[in-house]
Amino acid sequence: MSNVPENLKYTKTHEWVSINGNVATVGITDYAQHQLTDIVFVDFPKVGETKKKGSVLLTVESVKSAEDVFSPVDGEVTETNKKLVDAPELLNKDSYTNWMVKMKVNTPPSDLLSPADYRKHIGE
Amino acid sequence: MRTPIYEWHKENGGNIVDFHGWDLPLYYEGILAEHMAVRKRVGMFDVSHMGDIVVKGPDAVKLMNSLLPSKIDAIQPGKCMYTAFLDEAGLLIDDTIVYRVSNDTIFFVPNAATTETVLNWLQTNSKAFNVKITNLSRELGCFAIQGPESRQVANDIGIVFPEPFTFSFQQDKYGGKNGVNGKNDLIVSGTGYTGEPGFELIVDAESSNKWWNDAINSIKQHGGMPCGLGARDSLRMEKGMLLSGVDFNKDRDPYECSVSFIVEKLDGFMGSDALKQRKSNDKEIFRGFILDGKQIPRHGYSIYDNNKKIGTITSGSISPLLGKAIGLGFIDKKYMKSDNVVQIDIRGKMSEATVSRPKIVP
Repeated sequence: MSNVPENLKYTKTHEWVSINGNVATVGITDYAQHQLTDIVFVDFPKVGETKKKGSVLLTVESVKSAEDVFSPVDGEVTETNKKLVDAPELLNKDSYTNWMVKMKVNTPPSDLLSPADYRKHIGE
Repeated sequence: MRTPIYEWHKENGGNIVDFHGWDLPLYYEGILAEHMAVRKRVGMFDVSHMGDIVVKGPDAVKLMNSLLPSKIDAIQPGKCMYTAFLDEAGLLIDDTIVYRVSNDTIFFVPNAATTETVLNWLQTNSKAFNVKITNLSRELGCFAIQGPESRQVANDIGIVFPEPFTFSFQQDKYGGKNGVNGKNDLIVSGTGYTGEPGFELIVDAESSNKWWNDAINSIKQHGGMPCGLGARDSLRMEKGMLLSGVDFNKDRDPYECSVSFIVEKLDGFMGSDALKQRKSNDKEIFRGFILDGKQIPRHGYSIYDNNKKIGTITSGSISPLLGKAIGLGFIDKKYMKSDNVVQIDIRGKMSEATVSRPKIVP
């Protein structure tokens, strides 16, 4: 069973997001890291880049494959998690503590999944 | 399809994926951990999905010798070899391990995805030969026990450790029978596909789980672990070993694939005439590529010399031993020299890579 924390929102493409004021913190779900296998590289966006909801935010590279992570919000990248540059394997250990990107959002989206809906989405 | 060990994989944390119609574990603990277990200690893979075909009869050796570029008539009973089936055009259909069981029995192990193709190929081409072809693929389990401590595992489970590319029939203490020699034996073979010392057990599906459990208990005592398809793939890549259907797919000859050693004869085998032509016309050759970072070159990515496309990646992974991304692929022979620097287009960004021989990690 994948870990799906109750205090977060989710997307169908396996990102999690936590919105605090106008700051969205974004990462990948436990289910996603499990599917990816050992993560070896994160190709981060540049701070200051603006991303449309649903567009490619960054790419995660695992031994098995390279997968895009999609932006769950419209917003501007304000920070990337530098710890993951040298230690991307932290995502396999805990993909929630190890957030990936912080973004500035103006209008939070209304169609994010609840933990229960996400669990249903991944069939658990 | 499921191997006899499927339930064990599920109960023991195997992350099951579909591999050419087979439900097999991609990994248990993690691909990198399993990879290192095989390099440093010992690991075991369930490779029961691979094919098992017996060719028996007065013309068994003659038939196989006519189909394969290797000298099947020259290998002694009790020895096995790596070789490949070629088509009329001299292109690889599948690579395989061929076992000379006796003067009238040849056994071979094709890849899972190509077992049917190879079986049909054999049937089509054996009409003039006095042989009986039997497919035992669903009746036999196969486990590869690989790593520097594999010899101790053999001792622990009561198996005589085989020298590389030799095999023997040893009594199956659990009463299993094999259709290769028809006795209550299992086949112990000095083979594997990891570049480490090791052996494979080819055993009756009925007693497979007992042997698997015995071996797992020993492996754990030696600090090893069960391993999935992911580690199997990264291990063979470090050593430059071809993967059928991925590195080649009826589109390359043995010279291009850097396995010219399998062509031991000049004439008289399937594809031999075409192969002579190809040998002098081949433009590309199989090589390894070492990148500086950890962005992995994937199957189908293009290789460049500045702006000129000079090749294509067919496999890519991380080398846990080098701590770098690696690739295998085909490159214009002009650029084949080790230490040449080329560029690989990784999703629109050019990454520098150093050319190496296919065996990337010695």
